[in-house]
Amino acid sequence: MKRILLLRGAELVVFGLLAMIPLWVVNPYALGLLTLLAIYGILLIGLDVTVGYLGQVNLAHVAFLGLGAYTAGLVVTKLGLGMAPALLAALAVGLLLGGLLALPALRLEGPQFALATLSFSALSTTALNELEGLTGGAQGLSLNRPPIFGQVLTPPLFYWLCMALLAVVWMLMRNLLASQWGRAFEALRDSPIATDAMGVGTYRHKVAAFALGSGLGGLAGGLYAFNFQYLQPQSFTYDLMIILLLGVVLGGRKSLWGAFVGASVIVLLPNLLSNRLLFQVFSGLGFAAALAAGLQGLYKKTTRPFQALAPVVAMGILVVGGLFVPNTEDWRKAIFSLMLFSVVVGLPEGLMGFLAIFLAKLFRVPHAPLPEPADIDAVLPLRPSDGTPLLVIDDLKRYFGGVKAVDGLTMTVRSGSIHGLIGPNGSGKSTVVNVISGLYTPTDGTIALRGVVLPSGSLFRVAQAGVARTFQNLQLFGELTAMENILVALKGVYQSSLPMVLFGLARGEERRAQAEALALLELIGLRDQALTKAKDLTYGAQRFLEIARALARKPDLLILDEPAAGLAHPDMLQQIAIIQKIHQRGVSIILIEHHMDVVSELCDMVTVLDGGRIIAEGTPEEVKRHPKVVEAYLGQPPEPQLDGGPAPQPA
Amino acid sequence: MLLVEDLHAGYGASEVLTGTTLAVKPGTVVALIGANGAGKTTTMRAISGGIHPTKGRVVLDGKEVQGLDASAIARLGLAHSPEGRKVFGPLSVEDNLLLGAYSRLPRFLGYRAKASADLDRVYDLFPKLRERSGQAAGTLSGGEQQMLAIGRALMARPKVMLLDEPSMGLAPVIVQEVFRTISRLKAEGITLLLVEQFAKSALEVADYAYVMERGRIAVEGTPAELSRNERVIAAYLG
Amino acid sequence: MNAAIIGQMAISGALMGLVYALIAYGFQLTYATSKSINFGQGELVMVSAFFSLTLTNLGLSQHWGLGLSYGLMVPGGLIFGAIMGLVVERAGVRLALEQKSEGWILLSIILGLFFFSAAENIWGRDDRPFPTPIPEEPFHVLGLAIGPREVAVAVGVLGIMGLIELLKRKTLLGKAFEAVSADRDAAELMGISATRTVMLSYGLSGSVAALAGILVSPITTVGPTMASAIILKAFSVAVVAGLDSGFGVVLVGMFLGALESLASFYLGSGWREAPGLVLLILALALRPTGVFGKATIRKV
Repeated sequence: MKRILLLRGAELVVFGLLAMIPLWVVNPYALGLLTLLAIYGILLIGLDVTVGYLGQVNLAHVAFLGLGAYTAGLVVTKLGLGMAPALLAALAVGLLLGGLLALPALRLEGPQFALATLSFSALSTTALNELEGLTGGAQGLSLNRPPIFGQVLTPPLFYWLCMALLAVVWMLMRNLLASQWGRAFEALRDSPIATDAMGVGTYRHKVAAFALGSGLGGLAGGLYAFNFQYLQPQSFTYDLMIILLLGVVLGGRKSLWGAFVGASVIVLLPNLLSNRLLFQVFSGLGFAAALAAGLQGLYKKTTRPFQALAPVVAMGILVVGGLFVPNTEDWRKAIFSLMLFSVVVGLPEGLMGFLAIFLAKLFRVPHAPLPEPADIDAVLPLRPSDGTPLLVIDDLKRYFGGVKAVDGLTMTVRSGSIHGLIGPNGSGKSTVVNVISGLYTPTDGTIALRGVVLPSGSLFRVAQAGVARTFQNLQLFGELTAMENILVALKGVYQSSLPMVLFGLARGEERRAQAEALALLELIGLRDQALTKAKDLTYGAQRFLEIARALARKPDLLILDEPAAGLAHPDMLQQIAIIQKIHQRGVSIILIEHHMDVVSELCDMVTVLDGGRIIAEGTPEEVKRHPKVVEAYLGQPPEPQLDGGPAPQPA
Repeated sequence: MLLVEDLHAGYGASEVLTGTTLAVKPGTVVALIGANGAGKTTTMRAISGGIHPTKGRVVLDGKEVQGLDASAIARLGLAHSPEGRKVFGPLSVEDNLLLGAYSRLPRFLGYRAKASADLDRVYDLFPKLRERSGQAAGTLSGGEQQMLAIGRALMARPKVMLLDEPSMGLAPVIVQEVFRTISRLKAEGITLLLVEQFAKSALEVADYAYVMERGRIAVEGTPAELSRNERVIAAYLG
Repeated sequence: MNAAIIGQMAISGALMGLVYALIAYGFQLTYATSKSINFGQGELVMVSAFFSLTLTNLGLSQHWGLGLSYGLMVPGGLIFGAIMGLVVERAGVRLALEQKSEGWILLSIILGLFFFSAAENIWGRDDRPFPTPIPEEPFHVLGLAIGPREVAVAVGVLGIMGLIELLKRKTLLGKAFEAVSADRDAAELMGISATRTVMLSYGLSGSVAALAGILVSPITTVGPTMASAIILKAFSVAVVAGLDSGFGVVLVGMFLGALESLASFYLGSGWREAPGLVLLILALALRPTGVFGKATIRKV
């Protein structure tokens, strides 16, 4: 509670002060800057959704600013409508075009995504320039600031409008990011495969996030149009895009406050450059900060030499260059780039990120107390294990080029059983699991769960159909806590609609969700680590957590892909105990495992694969004695004794 | 020839090796066995520079090499045939072999001639590879890829060779062939550190062996001694 | 008549398209070794062109004649480009790659911006002609007018790509290059320094960018913004062709060059950039690995 009060208190104070400013500041220039601060604040909050939460370099945001601005301008000048419809139209255009761009672009990652967004920006500039009949082309578009709801907007009133919109956007975003949605955004950056496999729908979340961010860009564009009352295509180019990125990165990613700080910097920068004394003071301070941070980093060995020294060199160039250059305005791009370079290399978490660590140390606000765990019987009800066929695989094939990874597999997993899947490396076990769980599309054959054919080629849709899985190479959401990892996957608790979430009316279900998550953590013995980040858990605990996360899906079928891989002996025993507990609750399991003793201990039934085909099937004991299994997988049984030096080579 | 002392290493925050010590004398084959996840492969990677040890020493032919980049250690005479073979799939078999001798050959032209004696030696050892010398390595079968990985390491004429899980995922017949090759190399006097999950086969070819448990050496001795050790029999030979 | 015009536009467009192909080839070089590309490559083209212009204008042309000074300038420009490529690798790419982050995208953009600003202030904001000994008057083949400077572009582009491909295929160094691209860790175990290979690829990529600048400047003039349109199309070519097919970039580059020259003829010169951008977004949506690229299999 104290933490919430502190945060909300800070927000109230800042917005209160900002709202009062026009009462005593009458300088129109200062008021203009503050208005711009509000507009850029909205813009950067939108950009932070993609750059911060999705972790992608988005070079299209400036295009949405421009498109929003022109939309608002055209609604007013060509359609003769008022300000409110114009702003709504700007928001809608941002949302719509953002969604349209996101549909193809978000299939991509990293450089390709950056290139796609860059192309979109260039395309939008071309269109604004060339559609002269509509936009006036390079001549620009002039417009008046129409009254809103009959009220003529004087500069202070327009300022209040912008600030009010910033406050609303701030509140909605805060609620959204604190909800299941915000968690999903974070999770899908850590492991998009796992979010899909947990039924979260990576792609649709990404598209929604991108559209939302772009919508905010459009809204900011509308305000921009009414602020300047004159628009030109060349205002919305690559240069401004880089400044916007500077704002987000410098302020601190994944932070509303960071966007606010970044917006302040962007607004103040031009003034900084035009005043030589101010510039020298500022660059000197920057140099000192880089030097101090660099030396500290080197001394404590927390940073690499390059990371410590490069910002010092960059800020040094800034200081020295400032002494020789006749006009700093001419060099503004170089100055931006040096600053941005220093921040990206030396302070990747941004000013707010840095400050947040510092403040956290200063205040030490404890996490809000967690609820009592829910009853495990309510979270994961006991199910009858009736032994009826649950998963039926019929003549499954999956080829990679000429390689027949799975070549005609037919098997049945019975309800309530643990079904082992073993075989030498390359025998096709992993491919089978990846086909069942939807990562790969089968070349041929069908898979049915309770008689219903499973969707193919979509992790997300298979997860929705009731199959949950773990991964051989862990796919946890490293930056999230153990509890949050489970909350992301949790099924059946979060049911509030998006508007409810946005207006903060969905807090009750968060408590229930936490209680369920804690019950699952208790099941695997990690309740006391609920608030530890997944990446900081021990390796064994991470393996346990993956199982608990998959259980949060309350699945009909649980696929465990080498759950004991790399575990030390005591951890392996605990893992076996966990799997037995789950089994007792009636969850059906497919277990892929290399350790024959684990398989013998757990499995009711074992299928042995080699070369993509079944070579044996039966109880663990039957399979162990099967001659083909001995030959292809287990090897010759050890000779009775082995002493007196190297034995002769078997032929 | 190779000395490892009190080696600590890991990935990120988790420490896998907690003080490994072992030695490989010139002209001997030393086996390193242990359960999955005991740290065998991590030991190999820490020796060859794939990960940087946080503490401890690695001495190769009298020179301390811990903390050097893998390429620098390779140039000093260590050849590491990694787990999973890691042949260069798109390149031809012969190019793979030539790259094995990279640090000894001229960079631009004339490298083929200079390496021809070594190539012949590897081709004699693995006649299959000669047949397929022009084929892309990625299209070879698992067993052939393993031969190629061993051959590639031999091309360097290494002072010490590390061989990680040569039997991994191979049919038993092929595994036997791999071990026959190792015996032959042993007869030629190679210095070899061998990691193997088939403990029994490894002990058959080794002169000396170490058993790893949880990041450190638990038991060591000659194969004969280990074969009489109750604990080893129960855990790895039973 | 109409067909002749179309043919004419297509051919001269296709020859210009080879410049995009060359820059795109530079992306492929670095992508092969490090899975990264320099987003500021356009600025590298521009800065190298300015530097080469300065070399040509050093006053030597009065004494030695344009031909000789041009001949001396080319290697100077290529070396300068290589050095700039190395700067980008060291300052922008290496740290991010070590940390396995995508910070290199942002950093290479930032470095490009710095070069841009520096060029603006050192060489001025105006476009300047680039002297060349190659005549401008077109010659006629089968009724089509072909400019010697455009032919020079084609010869230069195909020549250097051929040379680099020869280096990659015939020398051990080239095989090492491919080895790093196939499996960086395994290459290290062979004694191949991955860091140095990445540096080499960035150096080569810088040289290639410089050559693109030298070849295109006599046609477009030299100015700070000379590459801003070219680079977008080079990106398109690289993505549409895929980041691992040298043959593909030549085809796609020529195709795009022809297409845009026709687009500017029929839709107006302002729409010149549009086909490339649309092509890029389409290609990314339909076939993210490129038309000539290899499909990858997701692994877990």
